[in-house]
Amino acid sequence: MTGNLFYFLTFLTLFAALGVVFSKNPVYSVLCLILTFFTLSGHYILLNAQFVAAVNIIVYAGAIMVLFLFVIMFLNLNQETEETQHKSTLMKVAGVISGGLLLVIMIAVLKDAELGAVDTANFNSQIGLVENLGQLLFTKYLLPFELVSVLFLSAMVGAVMLGKKETQQRHF
Amino acid sequence: MNSIILLTSFGILNLFVGFRKSNKLILPLVFLFLLIVLAVNFYDWGNTTTYFERMLTIDNYAVAFTGVVVLTTILLIPFAKRYVDEKNESLAEFFSILLFSLVGAIMMVAYENLIMLFVGIEILSISMYVLAGSDKKNLRSNEAGLKYFLMGSFATGILLFGIVLIYGATGAFQITEISAAATAGSGDALTSPLLAMGLLFTLIGISFKVSAAPFHFWTPDVYEGTPTLFTAFMSTVVKTAGFAGFYKLMSVSFAGAYDIWFPTLVAMTVITLGIGNIGAAAQNSFKRMMAYSSISHAGYLMIALLAFNDRSENAIFFYSLAYSVATIAAFGILKLVSDQRDDISYNAFNGLGRTNPLLAAVMTIAMCSLAGIPLTGGFFGKLFIFSAALEQNLLWLIIVAILMSMVGIYYYFRVVIAMYMREPSGERVVVGSSASFALIFMAILTIVMGVLPGLMSNLL
Repeated sequence: MTGNLFYFLTFLTLFAALGVVFSKNPVYSVLCLILTFFTLSGHYILLNAQFVAAVNIIVYAGAIMVLFLFVIMFLNLNQETEETQHKSTLMKVAGVISGGLLLVIMIAVLKDAELGAVDTANFNSQIGLVENLGQLLFTKYLLPFELVSVLFLSAMVGAVMLGKKETQQRHF
Repeated sequence: MNSIILLTSFGILNLFVGFRKSNKLILPLVFLFLLIVLAVNFYDWGNTTTYFERMLTIDNYAVAFTGVVVLTTILLIPFAKRYVDEKNESLAEFFSILLFSLVGAIMMVAYENLIMLFVGIEILSISMYVLAGSDKKNLRSNEAGLKYFLMGSFATGILLFGIVLIYGATGAFQITEISAAATAGSGDALTSPLLAMGLLFTLIGISFKVSAAPFHFWTPDVYEGTPTLFTAFMSTVVKTAGFAGFYKLMSVSFAGAYDIWFPTLVAMTVITLGIGNIGAAAQNSFKRMMAYSSISHAGYLMIALLAFNDRSENAIFFYSLAYSVATIAAFGILKLVSDQRDDISYNAFNGLGRTNPLLAAVMTIAMCSLAGIPLTGGFFGKLFIFSAALEQNLLWLIIVAILMSMVGIYYYFRVVIAMYMREPSGERVVVGSSASFALIFMAILTIVMGVLPGLMSNLL
């Protein structure tokens, strides 16, 4: 059952991800991306990582995607604005070759990659649950967890600074 | 660790000081804060302490590089005086972000865990994205901020992917554990292709941050558009912290894999040296030239990384100190001159030797140091790097680097020629007393490093 579910979700993920790249209309791209995030969250649930799944939906599908849609509609990008004809053929060929090389390397690597075998007898299936995650965050990874707050503080100060109205600025 | 706590609290405190109507207090306060941090930082000299389940190690290496980045920031403060005169409303925010970004820089030099490295790089990068776009009414600055942000986030993604692949291959974020897992097994390091892939992606991510070719393409545009004060910070603190972190990662985690990453890095070094120096020679804007010059200095620092012996640490330390001091002096003078003459090309410096002998003299010393002329810090920086490389039998690489630094003399001396051999293009540039004091200090420091290099060359 879960095996079939896995393949179904994977198919859906790849399908939606390809949709992001190939659809001409940016709004469809964003909608496909939302589908991709939901199916990825499905994968997390299959791995018994409910917390990550919920966060993935709330943060990515919720906040970031709404922002994307908002920006696209705000900038009126939803009609087809094809920029590709400005790029020279040489650029396109170079891009395809280097991207293809990366793909070949990745395939070669993944073919030979051996991941450590999972010890099924001692495996803790609860490892992805929020309780375990919280315990890890507040013990072993306490320092990075706390220092991320400096990152957010600095990003917040920056956002306020960039967004703040200046006194001599015209008000549109 | 103490410096991280202090810098964070001082940053928050500084935000509150920003509520006052007058912003005259901010520069002296930030100066005081950073002096305290510098003192507290050197208090840890000689002790090695690890914090929080081996997340962070404060040893001499970390203390020395923290000293460099904090000192660089201190030297930058006097050149912000124009923001005070103009009653810029965001001055407190600028400096709070600088203080926070120093936290990131310290994490990058003292990390013991790849997660710490990543968070450090992110703190530093996000602060830089904001500061690059901080001149809101200037189209160039907007462009710089957006460009840096888009490309930087892409590089961050690649770096994170690399870290995850390394974790997948070794099951560890701890840099010592990675090395143990990588060298275990058949004795041949990097037996796992996943690890090689992870190493490659991590390399790409860090190379982007230190602007090593072929991941340098953002540098000229971003450096040119960013307000000069923050360009100076970007080209010194980010580079110093980046290389300190880079070297630590390579020397602790991937020492056993030297043969595997050597060809990649050596190719990158040669390209970086070439693009940096030849690109700089083609520029007409002084600021753009400095951007390319920072690429070329990344190339020299990569030679120290490739040398990979017990001299490398000292060479990187000495070189980044000499480079930072000279770069801050050059950008500081550029800021003073361009604020008044509204020009960032070489022409802005025309006749500066006659109107402002002090600025011209300090600029000449800074340019000599960057070009690697004897009796300046930059000469010994290059000398230490080359002698480290010689021990590793990299003679051909040294010859390439020396050829490239000859190209460097050409473009560094263009500004000297403009200063002394052209007619003045404007009035005397007004320089505040604190800025002249800082410039004199930097000139003396550069010469002291060039005359008595032994004072600092064997610290680590």
